[in-house]
Amino acid sequence: MTVVEQTGAPKTTPRAGARRRPSPLGSKWTPYLFLAPAALFILVFQAVPLLQEVYLSFTRTRLLNPTKSEWVGLDNFNRIFGDPEFHRTLLITIVYVITCVVVAIGAGLVVALLLNKKFRGRGVARALVTVPWAAPGIAVALIATWMLNAQYGIVNRFLDAVGLGVPGGAILDSSRYALPAVLATTIWQLFPFTSVVLLSALQSVPAELNEAAHMDGAGRWATFRAVTWQVIKPTVGLLALLMTIWSLRRFELIWLMTKGGPVGATETLVIDLYSQAFDSKELGSAAAIGMVGVVISLIVIIGSRLVARAVEKGDVR
Amino acid sequence: MRRFRFGVTARIVAVLVVLGVAVFPLYWMFVTALSSNSDLFADKPRLTPDLGQFGVFVDALAEGKAGGWLLNSLIIAVGTMVLSVGLGIPLGYALSRFSFWGKALVTVVLLFTQMLPEALMVVPLFALFRRFELLDSLTGLILVNSAFVLPIVALILKGAIDGIPKELEEAARADGARPFTTLTRINVPLIAPSIAATAVIAFFHAWNEYVFAVTFIFNPDLQPASVGIANFIGELGTPIQTVMAVAFLFTLPAVAFYLLVQKYVVSGMTAGAVKG
Repeated sequence: MTVVEQTGAPKTTPRAGARRRPSPLGSKWTPYLFLAPAALFILVFQAVPLLQEVYLSFTRTRLLNPTKSEWVGLDNFNRIFGDPEFHRTLLITIVYVITCVVVAIGAGLVVALLLNKKFRGRGVARALVTVPWAAPGIAVALIATWMLNAQYGIVNRFLDAVGLGVPGGAILDSSRYALPAVLATTIWQLFPFTSVVLLSALQSVPAELNEAAHMDGAGRWATFRAVTWQVIKPTVGLLALLMTIWSLRRFELIWLMTKGGPVGATETLVIDLYSQAFDSKELGSAAAIGMVGVVISLIVIIGSRLVARAVEKGDVR
Repeated sequence: MRRFRFGVTARIVAVLVVLGVAVFPLYWMFVTALSSNSDLFADKPRLTPDLGQFGVFVDALAEGKAGGWLLNSLIIAVGTMVLSVGLGIPLGYALSRFSFWGKALVTVVLLFTQMLPEALMVVPLFALFRRFELLDSLTGLILVNSAFVLPIVALILKGAIDGIPKELEEAARADGARPFTTLTRINVPLIAPSIAATAVIAFFHAWNEYVFAVTFIFNPDLQPASVGIANFIGELGTPIQTVMAVAFLFTLPAVAFYLLVQKYVVSGMTAGAVKG
């Protein structure tokens, strides 16, 4: 739980301090005064719209005539789950999310290990590696589209030069290569974050432990598994959770690069939801698709907490 | 010995490759902006910027609508920054320093909102905006962007306030200061770096936001740069150099400011996620 420690706060004081709280002029209403404005905001712009979306998912509602909505119970869910295209969307979403999680964390770990060694210019290297994460999604989608341009894109020119060119060069128009291209772009944007977070976790690996393992004659890989991995494991778990949630909701990059195409090859849940709402104008189905996404997120979050708890218990022995 | 030397060289090469991968697309954006037409469509592309083409940045701002777009983005981003930090400081303070009924619920809601895709909320928010005449208004975008970035701002600031010793505040309280005064006089100055970091996060959250902007704004004069640039994709006729120049001007401040506050953002985001 290395990351938790960063926020400091000794575990016992908050509660002990809170009990002594009755301070001059601070009544029991004081905390509510502090949080009321923010709570109101979140209620109006998040909670209420979410509930409306839940309601919509049980109705048939057209975008063009939203006031005339008809309660249809589970119809939307029955329909989308009976639709083979939705099955494919789910499959693509799963492939997209798992690839993002695994590759972003794997690449992040390699980069973090690389930047954890001392060398001249390390500070600059660490800063530069963050660049993709800081770049706006819109700009990333734009430059990726240009770099993948069939005729003049640098990627195609490079691939042609080394003899791996895609026929016609139209990577984003190919149902075979569009998803890998979108994934590569997403991972390019994600790996700096995972590597920076893992780097800060690596810094809490005690050097003596590594040395001790070396003294015992452990090889690099064995040392990594016995020492480093044990320390960074919780951080990896946390990153896996974050990457899952972020990839499930990622929209603009995919939308601007492919709009979910060609013929649905890059259509994740969020893309499907958006095109159901604004292309097909079926708000009910869109909401139902959204609910599937929210439920998946919830399962992931609750599941990860259960796993974390089980692991913690196992560690206590 | 030989293995050791090879290790060092390999590491240097590996670091350079990683940095190349990280930086190249933005470099390429810059190079494309600064290319003459003949370089752009030549058989062999030019790999370095042609500084003689620098006028493209001036043209992009002066002739296109890009100046207006960037201004709209700036208004939305500054508004979002002020509003979300203004609401986030008291919320973070309440979560850090008080124990109250419903605290766990508030925390869960804050974390839960992190997983809601904007695309899911577009439809109900559209209806809400129509009712309150917030469509086609920068104010509307400021409000909704603030609501979406508020949770992460509040969680980061809560973490920062957690790190300040309570004794400082208690002394002030013993002298009769109200909670609000202790917050503004004691805590706020001490967490200034975190406030700056959250301000940057909020600013660029709004600066980069696309889905709400593209759905809620119809008047071209009110479009922020994210929408304007997105429209370039698939739009024929605008010279690619201009497109890239605008995108570069849009990207550069985001990258520069994120680099400055990187460590606060990372610790804040991970801490926020862990607490759930």
